[in-house]
Amino acid sequence: MNRQTLLGLGFLSPALLAVVMFFLLPVVLTVVFAFTNMSTSTGILGGEYQISESDLRRLPAAGVREEAVEMLAGADYAVRADTLALFAAEFGDKRAQELEALHGGASFDDRRAMERALKDLRRDPIRSVRERKAAAELFRISILGQRFPTEAAFVEAITALGIPEADQAALTEAAYTGWTFTTQNFELLWELPATWRYALNSALYVVLTLAFNVGFGLFLALSTFYLPTRTAQTFRAIWFLPRILPPVLYVLMWQWLTWDQGFISAILRPFGIEPINWMRHTATHAWTFIVLINGCVGASLGMILFSSSLRAIPETQLFAAQVDGANRWQQVRFVLLPQMRWPILFITSYQTLSLLTSFEYILLATDGGPGRQTEVWALAAYHTALSNYGGNLEYGLGAAYALALVIIGILLSALYLRFFNFRDLVAKPRIEQ
Amino acid sequence: MTTSLKGNWLLILALSLISAPLVIMYGFQLIDSVSRPAPGGIIPQEWELTNWRFLWERIDSARPSIWRVTLNTFVFASATALLVCAFSITAAYALSRLNFPARRFFLAGLIMLHAFPTITLIIAIFIVLQFLGLYDSLIGVILVKAALELPFGIWIMKGFYDSVPWEIEMAGVQDGASRFRVWRELILPQVKPGLSALLIFSFLAGWSEFILPLVLAPGADAQVLATYMNAVIADDTRPDYGLFKAIGMFYALPVIAVYLLFQKRLMNIYGGGTKG
Repeated sequence: MNRQTLLGLGFLSPALLAVVMFFLLPVVLTVVFAFTNMSTSTGILGGEYQISESDLRRLPAAGVREEAVEMLAGADYAVRADTLALFAAEFGDKRAQELEALHGGASFDDRRAMERALKDLRRDPIRSVRERKAAAELFRISILGQRFPTEAAFVEAITALGIPEADQAALTEAAYTGWTFTTQNFELLWELPATWRYALNSALYVVLTLAFNVGFGLFLALSTFYLPTRTAQTFRAIWFLPRILPPVLYVLMWQWLTWDQGFISAILRPFGIEPINWMRHTATHAWTFIVLINGCVGASLGMILFSSSLRAIPETQLFAAQVDGANRWQQVRFVLLPQMRWPILFITSYQTLSLLTSFEYILLATDGGPGRQTEVWALAAYHTALSNYGGNLEYGLGAAYALALVIIGILLSALYLRFFNFRDLVAKPRIEQ
Repeated sequence: MTTSLKGNWLLILALSLISAPLVIMYGFQLIDSVSRPAPGGIIPQEWELTNWRFLWERIDSARPSIWRVTLNTFVFASATALLVCAFSITAAYALSRLNFPARRFFLAGLIMLHAFPTITLIIAIFIVLQFLGLYDSLIGVILVKAALELPFGIWIMKGFYDSVPWEIEMAGVQDGASRFRVWRELILPQVKPGLSALLIFSFLAGWSEFILPLVLAPGADAQVLATYMNAVIADDTRPDYGLFKAIGMFYALPVIAVYLLFQKRLMNIYGGGTKG
């Protein structure tokens, strides 16, 4: 018993590891990321602390008092014990002592002033301009534009600036450049009119394509069922190819068929019809071809599955029907279709879920265009988080889009589990040791 | 039943009509890759091989060489296929034949994963790969693709194991062999057809994969044929369909070869069937 358990778990463990890494963890992370404002500008691995010149204006709104802001904006260069120590280390104690005697406790607004102060050194002047510039940098105490990797380093720096403790918490929060937890993604989704548009597009896409898939798949399976084997095989081969051809090539063939110098335009030109891009001209054109492109792939799967379940129906039933005088339509309607209920249900439920979440063919065919007319929910998630022209990829918002699909996916696949006789699949192993 | 051509002419006519667009696309895919159509037209003027120039010269200096990209694609597809097969043969056997705690739970999980649309996880996976430092590398995409194909692989292999008679196993155990030895020496040879079908299937799935390399490995070093071809199409201001189709032909050759060789076996596995 124990050894078998060990063997079982051992056999399972590589697959389990993969499932945990690339299924469970991403599911959990999708939930987590949906509640963050993570984006290209916040980075992924946590952020730094930085106040820039332009940040100063928004600080009062973030709860930092004016005097603290002035301190941040104020004196840039100061001759103090700590800056003098840095100077001494590089340019010698003697110069440091002289500078302290001349300008100890002074502060300067810009580097030029600081450099002038350095020119006052008489005993051992710094002659090179470049060196003076480097020396002036050592007295820089402003933290504007400076990056601090940790919160502690930032707090230390603003304490050194003399920022009152009351303002430090608000300032630290405002200075953080990394991502933070927030619920604004969902508020945004709720408010944006585009959200509803994407949801409607998805619904339209799933309903139309599914109807095409199932209807056409059934038609192909039933019609080839009645044909001589060789002819049937030819047609099945034609319709099987869309499923195994690489999507990039498959969609390219449709692009060629529909572009303004492509097949359709060339065929219609003699009839006086202006050449247009038949796939992208209007939203209706785009939807038609999206349904056709996806539909041919889906119908291909439907045809294979329906054909194999048709072959499983005993021929004697059809002979009996024929003897009873049933014509072909009646055979289909009363003998074949009733026995196809399960495969049809299976294809319908399986494809509902995969159509709802797939965006590969739409991305390749219209990329959501024209305008955003064919942008479905899954494609919107992709565009928001992984590819947009603005350049700022909003991972958090994209994850919020994806979360809706993940939840639907989990609910539906759990439903299917209950639906398709689970008990048959888990027959107990017969060797008990 | 009537299976003569004569009695079915109406049906054949209807099928031919609706199949025509596909046949036209296949035909011109082949023709256009080795010919040049009349300007603005579709009828081929001359036969020529200039569309295949991408094989011996760079069509664009910024692009990696086609052979490098082909090698990447081959490595990607075969590594994925091997990983899927290696993980599936053990996991599926455990789920099909071994009795261990929480087996029902794992099986339910498998069925759920099989139906679950994994593409929804791509944003999170993108970030996981960045955490792991595997972003923009072939290894990263291989691992992800293999993991995402795994539920399907286990599902198919479980079907094959389920159809192996229990008597074989009983006999082995009776003769004193351990369960491991029984699996290796008696059961594995029985599911070899299934394993080869899964290998072919996963190879094709990897060869055709587009979204994962596009998102997870966009750099030039890890480019595969799908992303290469897409980039050539997307970057061109004036579409050169002859070139696109020639690249497409080159890309699809292994797929078509495999299809012609293993058509029947593939149809079975694409239909989710369990019999080899």
